[in-house]
Amino acid sequence: MKITVKLYAVLQVGRYREKVLDFPVETKVGAVVNSLDLPSEHVDILLVNGRHVDREFLLQDGDVLSLLPMVEGG
Amino acid sequence: MRFLTDNPASEPTSVLYTRCTVDLDSGGLLMEDVPCRNLEDVLGGFGRSFQMLAERDIRSAYVDANPLIINVGLLTGSHAMTGMRTYFSGYSPIKQSKKGLPAAMWSAGSGKFGAKLKWTGLDELVIENRSEQPVYIVIRETGDRPEVTLKPADHLLGMTTHEKIMALQEQYDDAHFAAIGPAGENWQNVYAGAVALSTVNQLKSKQDKVRFAGRGGMGSLMGYKNVLALVAQSSDKLGKTPEPIKKANINVIKGGGSARLQPIKRGGGGGTWAAYDVLQAFHAVPVNNFRPQGNDLPERLFRTKVEQQYEIKSEACYRCGITCHNNIHERNADGSAGAFLAKFDYEPLNLLGTNLGLHEAAQVAALIHLCDNYGMDAITTGVTVSYVLSYNQRHPEKPLLNGASFGDYDRIHDLVKRTGLGQLPEIGHGVKRLSESTGETDYAYHVKGLEIAAYQPETNPGYCWAIAGGHMSMGTYGMLAREGKTDLDSWVAAITRDKLQIVGFDMIGLCKFFDIVNGIGTDMVVDCLAAEHGLKVTREELQAAVKRAFLRGLALEIQQGYGKEEYCLPAEVTANPNHNITLPDLTTPEFLAELEKRVWEIFDREMQELI
Repeated sequence: MKITVKLYAVLQVGRYREKVLDFPVETKVGAVVNSLDLPSEHVDILLVNGRHVDREFLLQDGDVLSLLPMVEGG
Repeated sequence: MRFLTDNPASEPTSVLYTRCTVDLDSGGLLMEDVPCRNLEDVLGGFGRSFQMLAERDIRSAYVDANPLIINVGLLTGSHAMTGMRTYFSGYSPIKQSKKGLPAAMWSAGSGKFGAKLKWTGLDELVIENRSEQPVYIVIRETGDRPEVTLKPADHLLGMTTHEKIMALQEQYDDAHFAAIGPAGENWQNVYAGAVALSTVNQLKSKQDKVRFAGRGGMGSLMGYKNVLALVAQSSDKLGKTPEPIKKANINVIKGGGSARLQPIKRGGGGGTWAAYDVLQAFHAVPVNNFRPQGNDLPERLFRTKVEQQYEIKSEACYRCGITCHNNIHERNADGSAGAFLAKFDYEPLNLLGTNLGLHEAAQVAALIHLCDNYGMDAITTGVTVSYVLSYNQRHPEKPLLNGASFGDYDRIHDLVKRTGLGQLPEIGHGVKRLSESTGETDYAYHVKGLEIAAYQPETNPGYCWAIAGGHMSMGTYGMLAREGKTDLDSWVAAITRDKLQIVGFDMIGLCKFFDIVNGIGTDMVVDCLAAEHGLKVTREELQAAVKRAFLRGLALEIQQGYGKEEYCLPAEVTANPNHNITLPDLTTPEFLAELEKRVWEIFDREMQELI
């Protein structure tokens, strides 16, 4: 299945903003995150089609997975 | 401080802090060792100062009986990373209940002034009454007790914060400084004067790289008292870092908690500026007086855009490895850093930038530079100016002041400059008063009289119960974006238990970035207290002390006339919901009513138990 992965802020550095990637059917969000080799301390917010999910969420073909770092004040 | 016990929670009176009370009317000075009443006193900061403020009957901020309390925390000047905070407390000129009574406020700042103050041997300076002539106060380490003297400050009048600090640096070796600017000097017309605190970087480079205790108008209170600056002169006291603190410090840097605040070149998230990128994903970056438009305008101030044209230097506070400062410099032809323009933190960048319809880095830097040098709170100034622009958009036929509109840099610059010089009380008195004078209060973005931070109120009902700066005294501001939680149980627990713990940092002397998610009730802090001072305190005791301090702050608001109807978000949020924000809508009347009911059930009971 095709998943559009969107990266935000520091997660884009040395990578991309958005890419369509192939994954097996019934891949979970956590598996996609692990496969992208992102710095774990920066992957904080997980969204699928704009909604908050956790790593156990099962993706469907055509989903948009957005990965963001935490919001910090100051 | 003197510790006659290793158990401050059980035996607080066996911990004594050194306090100097300066009477500016008589010139009298009283130096004393004061026994702590409770663990909150031991920790310091607002935990102690609010107990003093609660004993005073203050009906107006600009009265002699309103003390300005300057203190440090238990870990200020310690080996713990970020242990450098100074706190300024008093009844606020800007934050006021509908009954017209001033709220007690504190603000906190970094730089090296706090450590130097602690190393003089003084834990707290209480400034009573006011001086007829402008003065500055010198706190100096001597062999025995700290020495406090008043000096004439006529030569400092009218100087910017940076100029004052540079002038004092010429006179005092091995010292750091706190200073107000023209805004604080014009306290009658500027209620949000800030206090600038010098940094090692500033004194070395001679660039105006200061830190601020910005919120609540403590610089205006200082100006009312005719105190233009403070000097803390002492030798540095840090020797070898004890192993447990070294371990804690390494954890602060490498443990992941502060990763998002560290420089990108080091694999960090690049500081608070990154909030732009994250919030823009939800169209929740404030635009044009807190009305995000669902477009890509905020992206023009993304770091990736700004760094195409400007050099961004990652710099740090004294001994801090987090290195969260993003200092913007011109770029020379050879690619090196040229003139320093401003420090880009999320709040001033947004509230003096995108939220005013300004999207050019140089323009925003110029406004930040003005606020810093005139010494006024960027949040209050930015939010009040954005109200003016919003009013003018609604009333083009009869605009306020110079008729400035969103994106109109020249006129906005004029407003900010004249406010800082005390020429525009309409802005200097804050958005609550301005909106009441126009009769249009719905889109005045304050809560309880204090302008809100750069987080859309639709995403943060926790603002209502913040007892000082809206995001730094209630850590719910990123919760919706981060966790997506919309259920009442989560929000009630966050407001009444978990996210209020952020205020603990404004007691103990550490910067919030030490561990912003977990507060001070952690093993790291327990270990630091043991290693630095030989104290045995548990996490639970720390959390309980923080909770008590918070509840006292809330009770003090009610004592100052706040009715529960004032614990509400700006009316525009529910009157005219913004559907451009793609986060779940928490601000339905039903949700807010139930949230209020449940939060007050808990807080009312807990305040009663505390009293």
